[in-house]
Amino acid sequence: MYISAASTISHHPTFRNKGFSSQLRELDPASELIRPDYSDYIPAMERRRMSDVQKMSIACSLDCMQQAGIGQPDAIIVGTSMGCCVNIRSFLDKILSANGGPLSPTSFIVSTHNTVAGQIALLLKNHGYNMTHTQNSLSFEQALMDAMLGIKEGFQHVLVGGADEEEQSLYNMRAKLNIEQLHPVSGASFFILSGDHGGSEGVNLLDAGSYGLIDSITDCTEHFLLSGGQSAKDIGLVLYAVNDKKGMAELNSIFRREQLFDYQIVAGTSFTNSAFAMHYGIDMLLDGSNPGLREHKKILICNNVIPENLGLILLAA
Amino acid sequence: MKIFVTGIGIVTAIGLDAEENLNSLGSLTTGISRSNSSGLMLGEVKLSNEELMNKFQLPAEDYSRTSLLGLLAATEAWANNKIDKIIRTGIISSTSVGGMDRTEKYYFDARKNGIANSSLMTHCNGRTTERIAARLGISGYIGTVSTACSSGANAIMQGARLMEGNKLDRVIAGGSEPLADFDIKGFSSLGIYDNAICKPFDDNRMGLNLGEGAAFLVLENEYSISISNNKPICMLAGWGNATDAFHQTASSPDGKGAALAMTNAMVKSGITVDKIDYVNAHGTGTGNNDLSESMAFKSVFGNNLPAFSSTKGFTGHTLAAAGAIEAVYCVQAIQKQTVLPNLNFTTPMKETGMKPATGFQRANIEFVLSNSFGFGGNCTSLIFQKA
Repeated sequence: MYISAASTISHHPTFRNKGFSSQLRELDPASELIRPDYSDYIPAMERRRMSDVQKMSIACSLDCMQQAGIGQPDAIIVGTSMGCCVNIRSFLDKILSANGGPLSPTSFIVSTHNTVAGQIALLLKNHGYNMTHTQNSLSFEQALMDAMLGIKEGFQHVLVGGADEEEQSLYNMRAKLNIEQLHPVSGASFFILSGDHGGSEGVNLLDAGSYGLIDSITDCTEHFLLSGGQSAKDIGLVLYAVNDKKGMAELNSIFRREQLFDYQIVAGTSFTNSAFAMHYGIDMLLDGSNPGLREHKKILICNNVIPENLGLILLAA
Repeated sequence: MKIFVTGIGIVTAIGLDAEENLNSLGSLTTGISRSNSSGLMLGEVKLSNEELMNKFQLPAEDYSRTSLLGLLAATEAWANNKIDKIIRTGIISSTSVGGMDRTEKYYFDARKNGIANSSLMTHCNGRTTERIAARLGISGYIGTVSTACSSGANAIMQGARLMEGNKLDRVIAGGSEPLADFDIKGFSSLGIYDNAICKPFDDNRMGLNLGEGAAFLVLENEYSISISNNKPICMLAGWGNATDAFHQTASSPDGKGAALAMTNAMVKSGITVDKIDYVNAHGTGTGNNDLSESMAFKSVFGNNLPAFSSTKGFTGHTLAAAGAIEAVYCVQAIQKQTVLPNLNFTTPMKETGMKPATGFQRANIEFVLSNSFGFGGNCTSLIFQKA
């Protein structure tokens, strides 16, 4: 399976900036989301009513469609941990201020997690398969597994992405992860997964896996690699996000130090930051300048953002 | 590949388990009544959070009602199954707003008193599923889908697809939804809330009533059954998902998405339209849904519409759980070889003249189709088959 397009909006200059992986540095904690000019993608009337997660996702989706040169995807699949939480908070605020009086439904109707996937379909007039996965830090991996199933079932092109917007008043990520040194971010990364190559340069998606309530990263990772006929030494680079000591010790026992790269330092923390890592990895594989990828052109993304959850994505040039 | 249904569990306003639900359907007894707190007609589950916590002897942590109702239905469906390393087992649940019942309470408290509460994290959809998985001892594929009111059906479809894709051998799939002020206020603000008990497919229908509940199905492949020795209740023959792409909340006048979902499900099942013996409709009781769904029936079935009904007059609209709850009803329709009744129907819609089944009527039931539609134009149909 091939990734024939990728698009990311983040706190870095990633949008429509091929080769960004070699330019990115550590995330500045004071940084904000870099919003492109959305007027190229979304009509003004609709744009005004949209929150970040909606706007980022639509712009990335349309950018992907343009890159891949396809009119309609066969499926639209989104992974989002917190969905449209800004709209949810907005409707909760309205309930409070209305104090039992009449309410406008505007923010309610765009409060469901599938608002993003639904609006992309609405904009494209797409009648295909449409799905939204929301399993906290594994939302994107589950969306990716769904997309891979879709290709195996016969879809040609699947639009798949991960997106979350930062919203501290409804969900305190620092409390959940119990760490102070953490930079919550907003971001969206979308991709076109295609059944065949179509002649363009692309990266292969070899496999994706989602493991919840696990005891051991080692067991899951070794089993994941083995089932695809791979071993730890075949991986050029491991892009990881780990937030506890046990997880880090396990990674250090599976991989050599020079294979390991902490993507969270660059991406910041969100429960769908593995989607950022996937685009980051794709860009590295296409760029080819990372010394770690000279011998083995394979990247494993190891998402252990929440210690009992593990997401794995394997890419190859 | 055959996908067997080997367990069902359900809790709704008309019963705390599968047997109670079936009895209420058989005796045409609605669970919708006027709520003391809101004054609205609601399908409330007659068990408090405290009673549910005590039943499962849970520690005094924050459990959302989403998790608690889900636990009740999931443990009934799971019954005496055991976690076994050689059967790859996953869980897929669904919810529209996660632990909103807790979230809104904490958020309102925080706004009124200025106290931040870390328990706001109960809102996370995935957390509600992890709670259920932990109770059943499931690790590995723990997933949650959220596509508004088609979520429950989509969770069952995802489970089946992961089995077909050789990722899992056994899945417990379904959905759970509590009554939250958020949804009650939201649907009221849309002006589609009936002040009496809803009247699906009636010409004088006034809107929907909200309900709460949860339901889960245990799905197994042949390999899993060979080890578990479970007896199949029926099979999941096919599924279809499509998008209406007409409006964020309203359904298209011709029911395009609904028709596509039904057609896709029949293609996947390898059957023609004449094989369907009963349709459990989405049938929310709103002017828009019931007309759109009826038009979709017309385009799919032509003049040979099978027996159909909406069970929303019993349970209210249970949002994300609806697809799972109605999947259990479809399984029961096959078990008991009966068509399920549509309550409060008197006058056919003038646009279509269609009459839903109004009695608990015995019939030969081989294939049953269940419809679920949600915000974002998300349309899903499931087809169950006699084993």
